[in-house]
Amino acid sequence: MTTPSAPSPSGTGITVRGLTKTFGSFTAVDDLSFEVAPGRVTGFLGPNGAGKTTTLRMLLGLVRPTAGEALIGGRRYADLPAPMSTVGAALEATGFHPGRSGRNHLRVLAASHGIPDRRVDELLDLVGIPAAARKKAGGYSMGMRQRLGLAAALLGDPDVLLLDEPANGLDPEGIRWMRGFMRHLAQEQGKTVLVSSHLLGEVEQTVEDVVIIANGRMARQGTIDELRGEPAVLVRVGDPAALARVLQEAGLEVQPEDGGLRVSGADAARVGEAAHAAGHPVHELRPLRTDLERLFLELTESPEHRNRNLATGTEAA
Amino acid sequence: MISLVRAELRKYVTTRLSWSMPLAMAVLGGLFAALQGLFLAVIGEFPAPDGSMIVPAELFGEEVVARLVYTGAVQIGYLLALVLGILSMSGEFRHKTITATLLAAPRRGRLIAAKVVSVAVVVALNAVAFTVGSVAGGAITLAIGDLALFPDPAGLLATFARMILVLVLWGLMGFGLGVLITNQVVALFVGVGVTLLVEPLLGLGLTFVEQLADASKFFPSQASMSALDLFAGVDAGAAQTLGAAQDALSWGWATLVLLGYAAVMATLGWVLTARRDVA
Repeated sequence: MTTPSAPSPSGTGITVRGLTKTFGSFTAVDDLSFEVAPGRVTGFLGPNGAGKTTTLRMLLGLVRPTAGEALIGGRRYADLPAPMSTVGAALEATGFHPGRSGRNHLRVLAASHGIPDRRVDELLDLVGIPAAARKKAGGYSMGMRQRLGLAAALLGDPDVLLLDEPANGLDPEGIRWMRGFMRHLAQEQGKTVLVSSHLLGEVEQTVEDVVIIANGRMARQGTIDELRGEPAVLVRVGDPAALARVLQEAGLEVQPEDGGLRVSGADAARVGEAAHAAGHPVHELRPLRTDLERLFLELTESPEHRNRNLATGTEAA
Repeated sequence: MISLVRAELRKYVTTRLSWSMPLAMAVLGGLFAALQGLFLAVIGEFPAPDGSMIVPAELFGEEVVARLVYTGAVQIGYLLALVLGILSMSGEFRHKTITATLLAAPRRGRLIAAKVVSVAVVVALNAVAFTVGSVAGGAITLAIGDLALFPDPAGLLATFARMILVLVLWGLMGFGLGVLITNQVVALFVGVGVTLLVEPLLGLGLTFVEQLADASKFFPSQASMSALDLFAGVDAGAAQTLGAAQDALSWGWATLVLLGYAAVMATLGWVLTARRDVA
């Protein structure tokens, strides 16, 4: 994604270039540019109100950009010949007619692309709600809605999936299911996935690349390994100076931190074993936040990045 | 395009509206046609301003009475058609299905066109149910009043066809309104309010303004009555005793006027929809 790798001919990538959206005097998205590489899972992260949903909506032609462009496979969404067969999107605010069954909701969408009912039933099986989907959507739980939204996104067997906060409102079991499902889509079916979230932990184990925005602007992008930086642990012992020498001799980078030692490039097991071998009783040993986690916390907690949705009420999220 | 129309029709048949609306159409059509028949056929006479008694069946002939009775519910019918048209668009915003709809049909001009076609089809089917109900309710009272049920079959068929056309045009006007005003409650309120309240009041007001006295015949309700052409072959003065407008439009022009309203509103909605952000 950061590397300007040319999209592989088989996959479909996403290009966002100079994308800007203002609502009155409020700038929801500000000169945003990034690429989503084909066949990879990219996390689209940022605090609530950072402009993630607005960006996704511009990608899908639901919101008109004030400036710039958002392309899928080099085309605007509205110019795709059979959009649902290229891009599947599960957006947060998608609603269902309370009196229509989930299955019929899918059948309506299927009709627009000439997709047979058989495919609808296949997908209901896949997302695990074949029986419930025959009931009216009015009584659906959040988890049902998320699964139904996902089934809708997959109807046309698209190359690209845009998922907006797919874990929102799911119970832990649902979140686990969703993670596994995303991995399955990316790894076994080679789909390009762009998944937004305001919680790093929700997508961290699933995504390969990360785009982080705040206040509508790019904050950081790269592969997740790049952004994570080296793993580090904090260790506290009675004689930190002595342990520091031992660890440095073992080739580790050690810095004093918070009365203990910050050891980069090693996990807790290795540091603990080294301390034990050198005869230092360990008082505390824990992994430190990765660079990515620290960056993300900074973004979400700093007052200038507080949820702008709450302040203005003009942007969708 | 055909697949988009199919998707729109499937939207209609997968909600309760698909049977409740035709049912309401048929029942209300029957009731109000019967009410009209009660006055024109069962009671069959009423006092004129000069004190003499008017007997409609003698004055206008049985075919005109049959026409008036069978179309006696048309105001209810076109109001329901208006509601159907409004719901087609504003329902998408109310239930937030518009996002999924636009993802499946991102070219908004095509979506609007598909919706126009589907509204026309749906309202036409409902209008058939409405006509069947009206005929059933009306025929009972004509039979009680001992008048011919179908005195002029070909003429009556033409009247039914015009009634269905009028309802379809009201459905399209409602659709335009629903596109224009995306808040469903407001759109319904404006649509029904204008038809039931604003239009008659404005029409009454205009009668006091000499230059504009003629304008009210172009109003949707008045144009609809003209489009039905109920008083074909009847002396204009006599027709007015039964509520026909003075100097009314011919049915052809009246139909065009209604079509004009529908086209203007749908076009306005089209232009607005093309630019609207859907969040």
